[in-house]
Amino acid sequence: MFKKIIAIVLTVVMALGMFALTGCGSKSANNAFVVPSEGFNPNETVDITFTHTMGAKLQEVLNTYIEEFNKIYPNINITHQSAGGWSDINGQINTEIAGGTQPNVAYCYPDHVAMYNIAKSVVTLDNLIASDIKIGDSEEIIGLTDAQKEDFIESYYNEGLVYGDDQMYTMPLNKSTEVLYYNKTFFDENNLTVPTTWDELWDVCEKIKAIDPDCYPLGYDAEDNWFITLCEQMETDFTSAENGGQYLFNNDENKAFVKELREMYQKGYFTTQELYGSYTSNLFVEQTDTNCYMCVGSSGGASYQMSNNDTADGSFAFEVGVASIPQYNQENRKVISQGPSLCILKGANTTDQQVLASWLFVKFLCTNIDFQAEFSMASGYMPVIKSVTENENYAAWLAKGNGKEYLVAKCVQVGIDGRDDYFVSPAFNGSSKAREQAGALLLKCLSTETTDVDKLIDDAFQEALDECEY
Amino acid sequence: MVDSKHQWKAWLYLSPAIILLLVFTVWPIFNTLRMAFLNGYGNMAAMGGATFQFGIENFLKVIEYDKFLDCLKTTAILCVATVPISTTLALLIAVALNSIKPLQKTLQTIFFLPYVTNSIAIGMVFATMFNIVGYNPVEKVADTWGIINNVIQFFGGEGISWINQGSTYTANIAVMIVYIVWNALPFKILILLGGLQSINKQYYDAAKVDGTPKARVLTRITIPLLSPMLAYVIITGFIGGFKEYSSIVGIFGEKMGPPDDAGRLNTMVGFVYDALEKDRQGLASAGALILFVIILVVTLFNNKVIKKHVHY
Amino acid sequence: MSNTKTMNVMQERDVRTRTIGQKIFKVLGKTGTYIFLLVMALIILFPFYWMIISSLKTLAEYRQAVPTFWPRQIMWGNYAEAFTKANLGDLFMNTLYVGLVSTVLSLVITVLSAFAFARLEFKGKETLFGALLATMMIPGELFTITNYITVNNLGWMHTFTALIVPFLVSVFYIYLLRQNFMQIPNELYLAAKVDGTSDIKYLWKVMIPLALPTLISITILKMMGAWNSYIWPKLVANDAAHQMITNGLRNAFTDTTGQANYPVQMAAVAIVSAPLFLVFLCLRKYIMQGVSRSGIKG
Repeated sequence: MFKKIIAIVLTVVMALGMFALTGCGSKSANNAFVVPSEGFNPNETVDITFTHTMGAKLQEVLNTYIEEFNKIYPNINITHQSAGGWSDINGQINTEIAGGTQPNVAYCYPDHVAMYNIAKSVVTLDNLIASDIKIGDSEEIIGLTDAQKEDFIESYYNEGLVYGDDQMYTMPLNKSTEVLYYNKTFFDENNLTVPTTWDELWDVCEKIKAIDPDCYPLGYDAEDNWFITLCEQMETDFTSAENGGQYLFNNDENKAFVKELREMYQKGYFTTQELYGSYTSNLFVEQTDTNCYMCVGSSGGASYQMSNNDTADGSFAFEVGVASIPQYNQENRKVISQGPSLCILKGANTTDQQVLASWLFVKFLCTNIDFQAEFSMASGYMPVIKSVTENENYAAWLAKGNGKEYLVAKCVQVGIDGRDDYFVSPAFNGSSKAREQAGALLLKCLSTETTDVDKLIDDAFQEALDECEY
Repeated sequence: MVDSKHQWKAWLYLSPAIILLLVFTVWPIFNTLRMAFLNGYGNMAAMGGATFQFGIENFLKVIEYDKFLDCLKTTAILCVATVPISTTLALLIAVALNSIKPLQKTLQTIFFLPYVTNSIAIGMVFATMFNIVGYNPVEKVADTWGIINNVIQFFGGEGISWINQGSTYTANIAVMIVYIVWNALPFKILILLGGLQSINKQYYDAAKVDGTPKARVLTRITIPLLSPMLAYVIITGFIGGFKEYSSIVGIFGEKMGPPDDAGRLNTMVGFVYDALEKDRQGLASAGALILFVIILVVTLFNNKVIKKHVHY
Repeated sequence: MSNTKTMNVMQERDVRTRTIGQKIFKVLGKTGTYIFLLVMALIILFPFYWMIISSLKTLAEYRQAVPTFWPRQIMWGNYAEAFTKANLGDLFMNTLYVGLVSTVLSLVITVLSAFAFARLEFKGKETLFGALLATMMIPGELFTITNYITVNNLGWMHTFTALIVPFLVSVFYIYLLRQNFMQIPNELYLAAKVDGTSDIKYLWKVMIPLALPTLISITILKMMGAWNSYIWPKLVANDAAHQMITNGLRNAFTDTTGQANYPVQMAAVAIVSAPLFLVFLCLRKYIMQGVSRSGIKG
């Protein structure tokens, strides 16, 4: 019987060789959207879909504001669904693009957009933003007014431009960043100052190590972010989106800082999530045998950084402080920006009206003060427009007293204060690989036992580069 | 026997299955082959208007890949180690179960439980059992050693880094073997136990009269009579083993390796998945076809060896 | 005379010591067997224990670096939350519907095909069967994109059809059932033919009852498939009206940052697994018979 299987397999392979020769037809597509001169017709019914990763709580907020949106545009019907987590949404939309069933609007990270863009499925927004065509009989224009543009936090707004061709691909929805959580009680007791530069940080680590020799002074949750942030702060090369994407991280400056980090790691100054084997926030809040007094983590995870509320009198075991992450050079402050942006997708069957309706919806979510405020409060992310503080509830929330909510608000405040420092790394087909490899190579260089550190580092960098370029 | 009346009837009965297979299995296979022979084919890129040359570049690229041999090695090691272990263990459990009366039903149910559970939870549990939290490889101290190390330390041994930083390839593979064997046991026990229960009691009665020792009964009667089931379990075990992927993700996460050496435990299917995610369907298809050929060869080889030893 | 007597006594003593020795040996053997089985059973059970205690923990305790073996604070609330939050009722009904319809259709197709392969003679039978088996060796993940496009072109997006039809034929089940059918003596079929019984009637009256255990295990496996399927339903029918249980669970318990509330999710997994356990307990006998009768004569 198995001989027959082979025979069949061979025949099929041969037949297919012939078939494959026919190849596939070429389809020309251009994603620069041109706003039709007649503009958007608000009286025509348009259905649009929106895919995101929101949990139940955020979907409630979204539903409320879809109702608000429909008060202005009653004929735009929006259906939305959650695709699960961040890794799920990327895979799902990839497949949907292949089948021509992509949503009109989607949550996205830059790496995802770069992938969708290979299929030329992402609508570039420049013409939409610039359009001053009025909508129906109203005074409102399709594009953004100057006041609206001004209102955006600039670094967030510019995240739409990291694709190497100076075109605008995404709008920021709500953002998160990395912040430094520290054990304020411990810092106060020992007269320690919160570090603002890496040098200060290592000094503090040394002092903490002297006080508590068994501790890890610092826990850093995301190794890949650390690598990328340091490149950005020190102005060394990481990647470039130009010419379809380049991997530039294999250079001596980067090797030097990796080597320094290795020395600090070997001194026991820090650990990371992967090296420790669990979220370092646990180490930070748990206060067991091994302690951790500083922790760099996502501002969106603030509720996990709160010290345990289980002392006998119900008070907290220690007070948590939040600060901006240390810098290399105060003249060139850089902090990584994360969290959802929105992109507009189109396929062969997408109508201009649908693109316009999608744009109006995106514009609404990104510029509506009340939505931005409520979404921020529900998610712990940072709003992307400056005028959000005009919302009284929000201002009150930011200044609120003790409790878990307080830490979330404090993080958001730190995030808002650091609004001039944000960056995202360039996005292109393969940029996610660079991020993965940066994290992996850092981990390898920190902990592998060796007698020849330089060789280890050289090899790790080369291997990471090979893997990226494969 | 072959008369025309039966012919059309057979095809009639087979038609629903054949039609569905043509649409949902054969057509995708054709498509896979097509993509494999288009140099550098990517679905998204095709949507974006790119065109591709016919050729065998994808296959060359898979074979040239530095880590391709590593993927192959890991896959092969896992296969060669887990199939004999799980088969032997399943055989012992099945024989033991078959030899007892009280508790037989209860134990039987327990041994089958893993088969009817959602796999999300199980991988996480195994990872916790081996995970060391706060391991410091220099000072050899840790916050939590994990249950497995606790047991080793209880018997005077030294804790080992199984899946964390500083762990060796051997330790990683050992963990994978334990997990895969655990996963594979229920099905094998079920098949073998079913086989045992259908063995005619007369053989054993005869052995009893002759006073044949137990071990001899096992090797001379039980195993030969069970050989068709054993063959089945071994062949399907190998096919499954070559497709190993999700179990590694279950323990190590999508990094497919310990934190300081990501990708160390990558397998053939892992390679295919990676390529799919990166919009490199051509490469993925070529990888899958190479895997298919390997499985085919191994199965043929298995079949040859087994044919010599199976008693029908 | 006395000689034979002593011989007898000696023999008797010999027999007695031997039986005592054998008994001790037997008891030891039995104890060893039980210890072996119980240890293995504990190893098998541990993950389930873990699932249940995890489902009773608070999220903070679950996320702790040092796992606890017994929840500090038992959170029955997780179960209540799992039930209300995930809209389990609808999810159950959807999953049950997909499970039942695909099981019934799949059984019909499998029975007909297995019958053709086991009882009828036709040109290219061996070749066709070999080709079917060969398809089992290809990683199924490769099919996803092509099948997605097919389903989309057929206009089946967001329908139960998309969830059911692509997976109706399983080569494995056809193989299982063919093995089973082949064990039924051919004489029965020939006798039935002489009596003028139709194929369908013969199938219904003779083959199906004899192969019932296999059919039941196929049913169970198929239902389990519906229960555990995740990636495909997420792609083709992830809307509220058609959502399957695993997808519903995943979506319902992710919090704002997209991280899952694992204890509640574990509680939901436990709730969802319960029906399968029950069905397995009730039908265990048939499942065991069904699976064990296959596989013979490869």
